[in-house]
Amino acid sequence: MMNRETLISKWLDNNLNDQELQAFKNLEDYDDLVKLNDSLQAFKVDEYNTKQELESVLSAIKNPAIQPNKNGNNWLKPFMRIAAILAVCFSLYYYTTTLDTTISTEFAQKTTIELPDASSVSLNAKSTLAFNKKDWKQEREVELNGEAFFKVAKGSSFKVNTKSGTVTVYGTQFNVKQRDYYFEVICYEGLVGVTHNSHETKLKPGDSFLIIDGKIIAKEKENRSTPSWLNNESQFKSMPFKTVIAEFERQYHVDFSLINVDSTQLFTGSFAHDNLEMALKNITLPLQLTYTKENNTIILKRE
Amino acid sequence: MSKQLHDNICEEHLFSSIFNKYSKDLNNFLYYKFGDLLNPKDKVQEAFIKLWQNCAKISPDKAKSFVFTTANNLMLNEVAHQKVVLKHQQTKPKMHTNESPEFLMQENEYMEKLQNALANLTKPQREAFLMNRVEGKRFKEIAEILDISTKAVEKRIYGALKKLRLEIKEL
Repeated sequence: MMNRETLISKWLDNNLNDQELQAFKNLEDYDDLVKLNDSLQAFKVDEYNTKQELESVLSAIKNPAIQPNKNGNNWLKPFMRIAAILAVCFSLYYYTTTLDTTISTEFAQKTTIELPDASSVSLNAKSTLAFNKKDWKQEREVELNGEAFFKVAKGSSFKVNTKSGTVTVYGTQFNVKQRDYYFEVICYEGLVGVTHNSHETKLKPGDSFLIIDGKIIAKEKENRSTPSWLNNESQFKSMPFKTVIAEFERQYHVDFSLINVDSTQLFTGSFAHDNLEMALKNITLPLQLTYTKENNTIILKRE
Repeated sequence: MSKQLHDNICEEHLFSSIFNKYSKDLNNFLYYKFGDLLNPKDKVQEAFIKLWQNCAKISPDKAKSFVFTTANNLMLNEVAHQKVVLKHQQTKPKMHTNESPEFLMQENEYMEKLQNALANLTKPQREAFLMNRVEGKRFKEIAEILDISTKAVEKRIYGALKKLRLEIKEL
């Protein structure tokens, strides 16, 4: 036996077979349903004369004011497509040209970059340089994190922004080294201004400006014409040993662990960038240290 | 998918055949959904005129949904919050001429209740229910007209019936 709900549903869909119809007629509210159904017929929509309505629509559309805009759409769609493509291209172009150009070097890597004018920059290992090609004509400005040697073409002022201070250049060659707790600018030619804590120091050729752990340290005149690292060698004069170790780690991509070694003692000397054994000897012998290698870690010990 | 013979309906005979096929269903649909006050016939005319104006971008298989949607929107623009009025024909054929006046009064009362109850149905319930009961359309046909599933049609119609009977009983 079907339940009431299914029977009513089937009745609504005019889908009862004879047996079901009999069962439906036996429902207690059969009379109610039939009465409701009969009464509903009074709500029938007014007669709809399709032919007559069609004629009136057809005469309406003959009116010249109501003409199909056949080509209204035809040109609009392709036009919108082209416009969309152009918009994407333009925004992409705009985005990429206003984006800063960033150049980075990894451990044991050096590179030289030509800037949009004739200036060039040599980047030492593990350093990052960023500049904006688009604004270059108005503003020669680069961001530096690490160490780089600049040869600046003559022109408007040239600025190097670092975390530790800003170097303003008046045309020429200079080296900027900005590492953890270490900031050094050496001028090789021309005139360089260094702004540190909003105080500007001007450097003449051979002058250098050095800050270690926030303290300004006086240095004697530099008499070479380019920084030593450009010739694959790092030179140090009375530098804390930890800065030597840090530079060594950057050049050879190794880690140091120090045992019984005073990392603040001063070191004078140099190491080459292309011979690990030799370089290790160069930095250990003067301080009477021994070294052992384990994978990428070098252990330094005082004898 | 079968390739279509025409990609638009800017030809009078095509347009006419579409009109013949759908205009009556559309008129019924509008009437049962929105009632009589807002001139369903006018809205049917307007919707088909709009179809003609846009004939270039409408393919024959999109025509039905275009006129239904357009007419429905035209109605909605006007309907604001008016109450739906479905008038029952006053010229009801008198089948029971020799009934007592008391019976006739009861009949009138019943029709009144029914009219109110119909007005209180939701639009989706009313359109499906009346197309089914008054036009005698089956669930499947209504589903095609409204572009919904047969199951949904059944649910609406059954729900409408239940609500009507409850209201008639209460009053």
